[in-house]
Amino acid sequence: MNFEAIIGLEIHVEMKTKTKMFSSAPIRFKAEPNTNITYLDLAYPGSLPRLNKQGVINAIRVSHALHMSIDDTLYFDRKNYFYADLPKGYQITQQDRPIGKNGYLEIEINGQKRKIGIERLHMEEDTAMQHHYSDYTLLDYNRAGIPLVEIVSLPEIRTGEEARKYVEKIKEIVTYLDVSDGKMENGSLRCDVNISIRPFGSDKLGTKVEIKNLNSTANIETAIDYEILRQSSLLIKGQEIAQETRRFDEAKKETVLMRVKTDAVDYKYFSEGNIPPVHLSKEFINHAIETSNELYDQKLERFLKDYKLNEVDAKILLSSKELADYYDEAAKNSKIYQPLANFIISEVLGYLNKNNIAISEFNVKPSNISTLVDLLNNKEINSKQGKDIFQKMIETNKDPLALKNEMGATLITDKDKIRNDVLEIISQNPTLPDDYKNGKTRALGFVMGLLMKKNKGKVEPNLANQIIKEELLK
Amino acid sequence: MKEVNKETLKIAAEKLLFDMEDSQYETLLNEFHVIIKQLELMDNIEDLSSYSPLSFPYVDESFSLLRDDEVIEETLLNKEEVLANAKEVRDGQIELPKVVG
Repeated sequence: MNFEAIIGLEIHVEMKTKTKMFSSAPIRFKAEPNTNITYLDLAYPGSLPRLNKQGVINAIRVSHALHMSIDDTLYFDRKNYFYADLPKGYQITQQDRPIGKNGYLEIEINGQKRKIGIERLHMEEDTAMQHHYSDYTLLDYNRAGIPLVEIVSLPEIRTGEEARKYVEKIKEIVTYLDVSDGKMENGSLRCDVNISIRPFGSDKLGTKVEIKNLNSTANIETAIDYEILRQSSLLIKGQEIAQETRRFDEAKKETVLMRVKTDAVDYKYFSEGNIPPVHLSKEFINHAIETSNELYDQKLERFLKDYKLNEVDAKILLSSKELADYYDEAAKNSKIYQPLANFIISEVLGYLNKNNIAISEFNVKPSNISTLVDLLNNKEINSKQGKDIFQKMIETNKDPLALKNEMGATLITDKDKIRNDVLEIISQNPTLPDDYKNGKTRALGFVMGLLMKKNKGKVEPNLANQIIKEELLK
Repeated sequence: MKEVNKETLKIAAEKLLFDMEDSQYETLLNEFHVIIKQLELMDNIEDLSSYSPLSFPYVDESFSLLRDDEVIEETLLNKEEVLANAKEVRDGQIELPKVVG
């Protein structure tokens, strides 16, 4: 029997704001535990939540990028539950009136675009970080209260690959908007999967299984593909699928049971009485949208149109927002966009990959890269000198012009000097002109080699080429 | 509306993780009856169909409820204050018995 999977994703994205959603405590990744906390984060009596404007702006930007309708009035609710990760005894969220509704995003599968519907996007707060050890648990409240948006897809995803691409697209949107780090490995983007299967053609939904603990997009795909096989084989054997929560075991590449779900938890949602509804003016919403960063697709279009880059190179540069920004910054100082792209892709990326570092850790200023590429492009230095200067730039962070002078990296462009050297070489090898005229083109390469050897590689190659040809043809 | 009786109150109390003496449930039930009587007065108002239910008396239009995204250092608690109420502390964190597998 053939089955199809019905998959819905819930994604939590931590916002990159300076402070928490409802308190003025700072957000500092990897800070000492329990040091970024105010009264509200620990639910001290008398403390009241105050909304972070930037958190709202970020949620509007993401909603807009996901083609959602944006609610112009903010309402918050309490999701009540008793657990140590949230000392108030409830989480402030938007149950009844999510800020974003009815959107979609597009993914590409086998060259075909496919729309995946998004039901809702709501703002809420993160919980404390729990570290579980063999027989005890430690609590760090630094994370409690960090702004989150939760993005809930419609159950329109059918395969592990579609799910992976959907999450990658969300990650791309939030990182290009610069509203989040979007790093699954650090937990700033977290994804829960709901999956059930049914025989093809059936309109009855099967039993839903939830998968948690997915910390990479690759794991999402693997976990879903595994889960489809697991559920299919149970149904084929005539067994029932239990409603349960499973986690992905990275070592075994399979999902394992965490807990069987019994009755649905009653969160007793009700309005957050401490935050009156806030009406957002049209101007406020439009301003948030108009001032938001370029998305990937917009940036790609601009790179192709304004910089006239070829699509392959443009996509390499856009593979991370930081790299795209680096190129953009370098291009401000340049007019030769394609050679600049070539250099960044081959030399800069080559260096980063070789040393396993991120562009954010690369300390050479983008404008220095454009100057170096100008020197190369104007034939003021050759590629060997270019590589040497680049290496020194990394080591010393100096300006390439200063390094060029310091290293004596110049090219000989004196025509008389070049011609004299060429004539001397030909006089020592008198058969060369006839060889060349008879079609032995390697005669030219032979003279070039000796000329470069004599001048330690510092002759301007195009000029040398031209003069050698002239002398060989005489 | 769901009938409020002693059983409903007991279920609610259990969900909220507390319990009371029987006499206290009686007192609470009486208070509820007063509240419900008052609410029933609403039924005397004719045609409310054009009004949607409110959970707040007003909607803020002033933006004063939106705070700028700036850290206020003075409101930060130091680590000792944060951990002052914890029964067990380990490595600067609050220690709990493990409750997940």
